[in-house]
Amino acid sequence: MSPPPKVLITKIGLDGHDRGSRIVAAHLRDSGMEVVYTPPWQEIPTVVKLALEEDVDVIGISSLATDHLIVPKLMRALREAGLGDVAVIVGGIVPDDDEKALLDAGVARVFHPGAALDEISAFVREATARVRAARFPA
Amino acid sequence: MNKPLPDPVPATTKDAQVRWEAEYAAQIGADPPVHNRSGIPIKPLYTPLDVDATRFDADVGYPGQPPYTRGIYATMHRGRTWTQRQLIGLGTPAAYNARLRDILGQGASAVSLIPCNSVFRGYDMDEVDAELLGTCGVVANSAGHMATCLEGVDLATTSCAMNDPSPFTLLAFMLATAKRRGVDWRAITGTSNQSDCISHYVANHMFFRLALPGARRILVDHIRWCNAHVPRWNPLSVVGQHMQQAGATPAEALGFTLASAVQYADDCVAAGMSPDDFLPRFTFFFDISISFFEEIAKFRAGRRIWQKLVRERYAARDPRSWRFKFHAQTSGVDLTRQQPLNNIARVTAQAIAGIFGGLQSLHTDAYDEALSCPTQFGARIAVATQNILREEAHLTDVIDPLGGSYYVESLTDAMEERVLAVLADVEREGGMYKAVESGFVQRRIGESARRFQERIDGGEQTVVGVNAYRVDEAPDARPSLPKPDEAEMRAHLASFAAWKASRSSDTVARALSDLARSAQGDGGNVFGAVVAAAEAGCTHGEICGTLRREVGFGHPLIVV
Amino acid sequence: MTPDRVERIRAGDRATVARAISEIEHGRPSADALSAALAPHAGAAHVVGITGAPGAGKSTLIDALVREHARRGKRVAVVAIDPSSPISGGAVLGDRIRMAESGAADAVFIRSLASRGHPGGLAKPARRIVDLLDAAGFDVVVVETVGAGQSDVDVAALADTSVVVCPPGLGDGVQAIKAGILEIGDLLVVSKSDQPDAERTARDLQEMLHLRAKRDGWKVRVIATSATGGTGIAALADALAEHAAAEGTGKRLRLGPPLAADPLTATLQRFSAADPYQRHNGLVLVDAGPKHATMRMTAARHHMNFNGGCHGGALFTLADSAFGLASNAHGVVAAGIDTHMTFQRAVREGDVLTARAVEVSRNAKLAFYRVDVTRGEGESVASFTGTVHITTRPHATR
Repeated sequence: MSPPPKVLITKIGLDGHDRGSRIVAAHLRDSGMEVVYTPPWQEIPTVVKLALEEDVDVIGISSLATDHLIVPKLMRALREAGLGDVAVIVGGIVPDDDEKALLDAGVARVFHPGAALDEISAFVREATARVRAARFPA
Repeated sequence: MNKPLPDPVPATTKDAQVRWEAEYAAQIGADPPVHNRSGIPIKPLYTPLDVDATRFDADVGYPGQPPYTRGIYATMHRGRTWTQRQLIGLGTPAAYNARLRDILGQGASAVSLIPCNSVFRGYDMDEVDAELLGTCGVVANSAGHMATCLEGVDLATTSCAMNDPSPFTLLAFMLATAKRRGVDWRAITGTSNQSDCISHYVANHMFFRLALPGARRILVDHIRWCNAHVPRWNPLSVVGQHMQQAGATPAEALGFTLASAVQYADDCVAAGMSPDDFLPRFTFFFDISISFFEEIAKFRAGRRIWQKLVRERYAARDPRSWRFKFHAQTSGVDLTRQQPLNNIARVTAQAIAGIFGGLQSLHTDAYDEALSCPTQFGARIAVATQNILREEAHLTDVIDPLGGSYYVESLTDAMEERVLAVLADVEREGGMYKAVESGFVQRRIGESARRFQERIDGGEQTVVGVNAYRVDEAPDARPSLPKPDEAEMRAHLASFAAWKASRSSDTVARALSDLARSAQGDGGNVFGAVVAAAEAGCTHGEICGTLRREVGFGHPLIVV
Repeated sequence: MTPDRVERIRAGDRATVARAISEIEHGRPSADALSAALAPHAGAAHVVGITGAPGAGKSTLIDALVREHARRGKRVAVVAIDPSSPISGGAVLGDRIRMAESGAADAVFIRSLASRGHPGGLAKPARRIVDLLDAAGFDVVVVETVGAGQSDVDVAALADTSVVVCPPGLGDGVQAIKAGILEIGDLLVVSKSDQPDAERTARDLQEMLHLRAKRDGWKVRVIATSATGGTGIAALADALAEHAAAEGTGKRLRLGPPLAADPLTATLQRFSAADPYQRHNGLVLVDAGPKHATMRMTAARHHMNFNGGCHGGALFTLADSAFGLASNAHGVVAAGIDTHMTFQRAVREGDVLTARAVEVSRNAKLAFYRVDVTRGEGESVASFTGTVHITTRPHATR
């Protein structure tokens, strides 16, 4: 039986509010997933190293303030490290104008405040299945 | 909940009560139990049976005297209205100054400065990604920047709050500015807002710069130094807001906050200070959620508990030590991104609760706070809200208008009970420092946060526009956000670089090494060394960096 | 699986190592082949097991220790094992959080693992992952788990050096500690030694050591550390190096190959590991299925009889062990009631013997097995038949 989805929940940039990311992490755990959870203020190279060593299926970035502005930088760094196949989702406060830019940069989905937790975990599961199908072809 | 009454019988007859109960039961239909956020069961009706009239003097009393339940001053808002202290911060110091003068012109009466996230993290502007600068607070890294921020503000007469945790460089920059302007430090009033390092460790990690033992020591130095040199300044602001925003119930937030205050007071006593020297300058900062009556009861209970605590535990004799002074902010956590204009109604309800709760100073959120940093348009409405409540709804005419309400008095008692239970729990853990290092507080808050989220997800707690009364909105119903002017920020970075290059590197190096020595414990006051460093032209990042090297980088304990 | 993948792993290429670990976790067939190809290259890494109750300060200690090793030019890998929720099966892998400083350093590789329902906390793939990291050239492989009785035993079997971390002021924890830790720990660490009651705790532990069963060789010692204060870390690193020099590395490899991925084989391996007599004779399970089990033994000096050939009892032990495992593969205790053996050829010291037990028939009460004992490439040396009585009792060892 294959192990459960492995998800990295982290925050880049300067904001330190982590109530949302903690709630999502707890929910994913209670849905049976394995969550690597970090405190806020992670540097992009650290996130890349972490994603690489833990071989995660999905990365969830929690963003308030304007931290989402450096997500494209993270996407580039992930691709350069050969982790372009990892699904990246962003949750938090992202203005509609900037959402498009994130999706164009390769973010799989943006979740806004008020998104149901079940919706997030369902998406994570789907994304994991896609990532694994590509990584471990039958 | 029902207090036992002395005989003979009270002001209601048994017949009327029985009749009401019968009619209520017959007409109500489904009547699931109701609890407030702190878990206190709420009945449909409260009567004289719910309060003990003989305890009026002991528990309710009059404003301006123990037990202070009705207010800490005899005149409260009727004599002097609450301070309208709006938090602002955006972009460059010049942009901040313009916004500040606008707000002061609109009726705000005091300054509250919020710095950029980069400043919170202890970095100078040239140490972080440029895209992240100035989006939620002003980028102030030096005394010169602070002078620009406060251009045209009379520091001798305007109360200023600096939202800046240990090592309190922004206050240091402000004091340097005051000295250059010839303003006597003894005239300066204001607060080191949110200087409570325990709350940062637990909840608002944003503010957590230095390892806890070091932050603890510097806070005591800060209190001692301000008492001596800036006697009208409040160096301590113990924060309940962070924990409540992180998910603590109102009772937990108040309980943990009081427990933190006890730790700080104990530290001051251990450092040789006398309680009546520092307690009058202890202030508090709370969140006001939209749980209307619960918040009012929370604040009333807070006043009652605090005065008893300081008299019993510290034998404080000065009545100024007994006063539970607090600033409050309407809770951003209750605001929604969906249909943001609804937030104006929410903020209004929260503000009224805070005013009825007897706060000393109020910040009302802008309706677009949930989207990111508020626009000027939103900030103006927030100030106008306070003006309307004061001058159109006349909420200042009567002191503690809900005092005597059977519900509010009963709820105040119930909140007091819950809060005392939290204090006892923390005592059992060995005090707040031990309780947060072991993760006890974080776990408790996390559980409350989860329970609340479950209530929302399950639909038990309605959030209009989110899990009920949803509306399909056109994308442009949500305005995009103001970002700081890129050209301005580039210029700010350039002038900062130029100014740094023009400084005397010897003066800076000497000041920083003095600072390092005081942090190592050479007997000097660390905050005094911070002020000296600010006057010598050191930057925020240099000061924070030096102290981090000496006392350790702050890593909060995070419990999922 | 390509040979150059093996090369990349041996060179310590992070991405390849990380992906290989995932393949082990996913039970991919490619992982078996990879493990087999890497097996000869394992044995040099010093495997350090670190256990202790939650809140003892393990992660913070490991953070400081890893930095110390990096200073000494050593490459370190950390396997941080967190408990899975028994209810949801999920886990928050949060140990990495506290290794804030070293997690970012290039000299460290950290992998978080959930215990995934393994009773006591040591994840099933842990052994194979440790072997992989060993072959990848890491000088030190740290395995961190929450101490919970059984997992202490598991880690002790895996590690070359077992370190137990105790926070100051154990109090009631003392009894629990006496029960399990003393038998396991090679080094006892009192963490957060900057706290006032640390000294007393260190003294208490030192006294308890006197109560411990006398062991030859390594003398267990107590070390006080303060990760925040930076004290005791160098002493701990020195003690670890000393222990490795004294007792060697790769101890786990001498106990047999890692637990197989399939549950039946893994169960039989566990039975074999729990059988003192099989251990005593150096028997290894090499294959198993619902109706068969194969074991291997090398005829050693102490198996010889007075005529210089292999003692019949040793060959019987081999055949009987294969018979025992095969017949006990159905979840209930099967007790041997009748056996017969013939010996066809003389067996010499050094011969590698294989005993393959096959089920002939089985009903509710009885089952019959035939065991062929061969040498080298398949030359028959002995034959065995056996009957078991099938009980309804489940096994005590699981």
